[in-house]
Amino acid sequence: MIGLEIHAQITALNSKLFCSCRGNYRDLGPNTNICEICCGLPGSLPVINQRAIEYSTMTSLALGCKVPDKIMFYRKNYFYPDLPKNFQITQYNVYGFSSIGVDGIYELDDAKQIRISRIQLEEDPGRIAYSEGGMNVRNSALIDYNRAGVALIEIVTEPDFTGPKEVRQFLNKLSLTLEHIGVCDTLLEGSVRCDVNVSMEGGNKVEIKNINSFREVEKAINYEITRQSSLYSRNLKIEHETRHWDDRKKITFKSRSKEEEHDYRYFPEPDIPIIVLGNDFASNLKKRMPELPNQRFERFVSKYKLSEHTSNILINDKKLADFFESTLKVYFSPTEIANFLVTDFKSLIEDDSESTDYLKNLKVKPEHIAELVKLIEGNKISRITAKDILVKIFESGMLPSEVMNNTNSYKISDEKTLMDAVQSVFDKEKSAVEDAKTNSEAINFLLGKVMKFTNGRADPKIAMRIINNKLHNPDK
Amino acid sequence: MSNLHDLLASEVVGGINEGLFTAEEYVSSILKRIEDVESKLHSFITLDSEGALSAAKIIDRKIREKEDTGELAGVTVGIKDNISTKNIRTTCASKILEDYVPSYDATVIKHLKKNGAIILGKLNLDEFGMGSTTEYSRYQPTRNPWNLDYVPGGSSGGSGAAVAARECTVSLGSDTGGSIRCPASFCSVVGLKPTYGRVSRYGLISYANSLEQIGPICRSVRDLVMMVNIISGKDERDNTSIPSSPISLKNKLGKLNVAIIKELITGSDREVTRTIYSASEKFKEIGCTCDEISIKNLHYALPSYYTLASAEASSNLARYDNIRYGFDLPVEDYKWDTYFSKVRENFGEEVKRRILIGSYVLSSGYYSKYYLKARRLRSLLRLELLTLFKKYDLLIGPTMPILPFKFGEKIDDPIKMYLVDINTVIANLAGIPAISLPVGFSNGLPIGLQIMAAPFEEQKLIDASYDLENSINIQRKTNAI
Amino acid sequence: MISKEELEYLAQISKINLNENESRKFPKQLDKTIEYIDILEELASDDSVILDLQEMKIEELRDDVVRMSDGKQISKNLTEDGFLRGPKMK
Repeated sequence: MIGLEIHAQITALNSKLFCSCRGNYRDLGPNTNICEICCGLPGSLPVINQRAIEYSTMTSLALGCKVPDKIMFYRKNYFYPDLPKNFQITQYNVYGFSSIGVDGIYELDDAKQIRISRIQLEEDPGRIAYSEGGMNVRNSALIDYNRAGVALIEIVTEPDFTGPKEVRQFLNKLSLTLEHIGVCDTLLEGSVRCDVNVSMEGGNKVEIKNINSFREVEKAINYEITRQSSLYSRNLKIEHETRHWDDRKKITFKSRSKEEEHDYRYFPEPDIPIIVLGNDFASNLKKRMPELPNQRFERFVSKYKLSEHTSNILINDKKLADFFESTLKVYFSPTEIANFLVTDFKSLIEDDSESTDYLKNLKVKPEHIAELVKLIEGNKISRITAKDILVKIFESGMLPSEVMNNTNSYKISDEKTLMDAVQSVFDKEKSAVEDAKTNSEAINFLLGKVMKFTNGRADPKIAMRIINNKLHNPDK
Repeated sequence: MSNLHDLLASEVVGGINEGLFTAEEYVSSILKRIEDVESKLHSFITLDSEGALSAAKIIDRKIREKEDTGELAGVTVGIKDNISTKNIRTTCASKILEDYVPSYDATVIKHLKKNGAIILGKLNLDEFGMGSTTEYSRYQPTRNPWNLDYVPGGSSGGSGAAVAARECTVSLGSDTGGSIRCPASFCSVVGLKPTYGRVSRYGLISYANSLEQIGPICRSVRDLVMMVNIISGKDERDNTSIPSSPISLKNKLGKLNVAIIKELITGSDREVTRTIYSASEKFKEIGCTCDEISIKNLHYALPSYYTLASAEASSNLARYDNIRYGFDLPVEDYKWDTYFSKVRENFGEEVKRRILIGSYVLSSGYYSKYYLKARRLRSLLRLELLTLFKKYDLLIGPTMPILPFKFGEKIDDPIKMYLVDINTVIANLAGIPAISLPVGFSNGLPIGLQIMAAPFEEQKLIDASYDLENSINIQRKTNAI
Repeated sequence: MISKEELEYLAQISKINLNENESRKFPKQLDKTIEYIDILEELASDDSVILDLQEMKIEELRDDVVRMSDGKQISKNLTEDGFLRGPKMK
């Protein structure tokens, strides 16, 4: 039984959750993105960011959760050097008040449902680095508060996963969903963290912390399952404990430090009143919010009449899907464009998909693809030629028409030109012509020769017709 | 003319604007006064004479150049040392913040400066606001100007004493369970705890954030009104602040319905009761009705207050780990958790006790036994009072159940000390405004009348206080020290 | 009754060292305070709703605008690079 606790930063925000410092702290010098509030200076007070509530509500809706019409914040009290106030402002489900989302359902591809226990809005702590210098010179820790106070959404699932593959699928879908809402760019360094609970049947629950990317989650779970199975098979006890994932050694180890005090002494945050969302807040937001992956899928199938298979490929790659729809704006031919994108186009750019700038820096633009597909459909070029042109556009950024003018690659559909081509071939391949009168394979051979003669530009249908005519009417 | 330092705030502003004296002359007079009496009183933790004189000179220049100087031009204000003042050391009377210099001004300080007030220095208090006598200050206690062997009240003891002794024109204190009203009563000056949310808490170093407010301590109701209007206002930096209307100084007190809270009388010393009853007679004389009423849940008020205040304090004071600010203690040779505990050893006894009690009542086994019950009592009390306020305009009683007492009398028994607050915590729990007005003396020791009103009905408090002040005329009879 | 262990536990989670004098005095003093607040037990048990709460509407909340401060909030213990030097972790 596996459960997840995911922390995703709301990277869409400009400022932090409780103050006006920048939400994106990356690439800033240490302790330059701070103010009296996020440093916990005496007398400072938290001032909550309105858009943070909107984004966390959208996340709750996307995960099928109930959104209350009033929310409250709580203090989670514990000491740690990266926690400026030595408490974290977070949410808590107790005594009639719920967090921003509860009791949701998220469906995986095989219709398996994962229950979402709760979603809450809370603040990120700062970061602790360690001193430079060798192992012996570590007599102090280095602290940077640039990240302290950044808005986090915590997503907690029930232990409904039965294996690492399901978890992987869930995390992929979740990333996609978060990307569609725009709330979190999961490719940004440190923007998502995942803790995992793993327990074998009837055994104790082991919590694994410090997994810093979705990719590492599967590895951590596999390691832990192996570890627990091994203990189990030797009749050894699996302790109820917290373990840390070491992503260099790829192992989990027992947490030695006792910084996780178990009694957090939660109580309502006195500096933030109850926030009244109102009955219509969630439903209005639902109407306005960006399209979710499954909604987009439905639209691709019903509106554009794409196959489910093609739609799936597009949906799972949001930037490609966006590219697709941009292309449609230039030239509306959904099936052709989609097919072209998911085959020839996609194979060309496969390697770059992990980068945040994926597709952004490509020389190939929607206009290029639109023109290319238009040419294919207008029978001006063949599919094969189109693929070659694409490669050239990829390198140079030239429009298809420019490329073609340079390489003279228009499809020949002009009858006279083709008849001349066929005649030339017939003159050369006299024995094949004889064969072709009775053997259809020889006809294909002749067609092949015509294609070669015209550098692949002949329109095969017309060429075939001319060949057949000529065979049966040798004198014309 | 009498000594400049004896002038009320309204007289100071008038005098400076009319050219009777300069702001610099006035401030010099105040500073001289401080020199004369401070060694006996110990009201100040930090005195910023240079800053005060510079500010005075600026005011004088503006007057010469006919520029706008603001409603509080030249008024010297002492600030309780738990309110952040930019570039002026702010200690909360604690060793933990011994070297702490804030990088920002509290909102109330900004308001004061904008209106021409002069920030004189930081006034003594019980450490972090926890106490009723300033005996818990880590510096030394402040003395009551009326009798130096007696406590000035607390926790804003420095604020009360300094105003009574005319070491500053007016002062700001903070009130979590009576910390403005107690010293106002014990020092025979006027002190107001505003409705919760009227005054921004941004910059007030939190002790119990759901209970406390910053408020003025002055020698006259007129001065008090000037101050309240300047420091009030919704602040975008404080999500709990609420917009309010300014208060005016009317001359006529209407025929209000007044009620005396029976329980507060029966729990009080005889001299206190006698004085309070004679003050209540004044209300009747002008045609107000004065009933005696009972508050059902009153005996739970103080236990609830201590539960909630300690709980919030234990969390609010967690940030003091000396990492980002505080005092000098090198970090080498300590592991982080032992460093934290070593640093926090420097809290005083009372602060430690409250933090421990706070952690206790919030811990998972006891949360519903104490904390939740206290929250619930708070709601019930507030509802009860709001219902009473539908019938009555004002609730009155003695501010303190006893006369000021000598140093050391209650310090060995925390509970004895807590019981001193029994009359004042009600207003904090319910979030309603409450004023303490000097109404008499017994054996040379001051007695204060507490008046409470419904949320945001400070106008009624002021109407009643102004009228009483005129008829009782305490201020002009005697001067402390 | 607050035991020695309970007191030590509370001091541990509050990160406060008690000196000898305090360790001696506090159990009794804290006991008295707890006894004093025990009276709250008489109140009816109703965990469900806390009534006295202030509310604000979502429209009143802060806009998501960046406003950088001068960053001078921390002045002590900074390294050359700008990190804050704290006590070691282990």
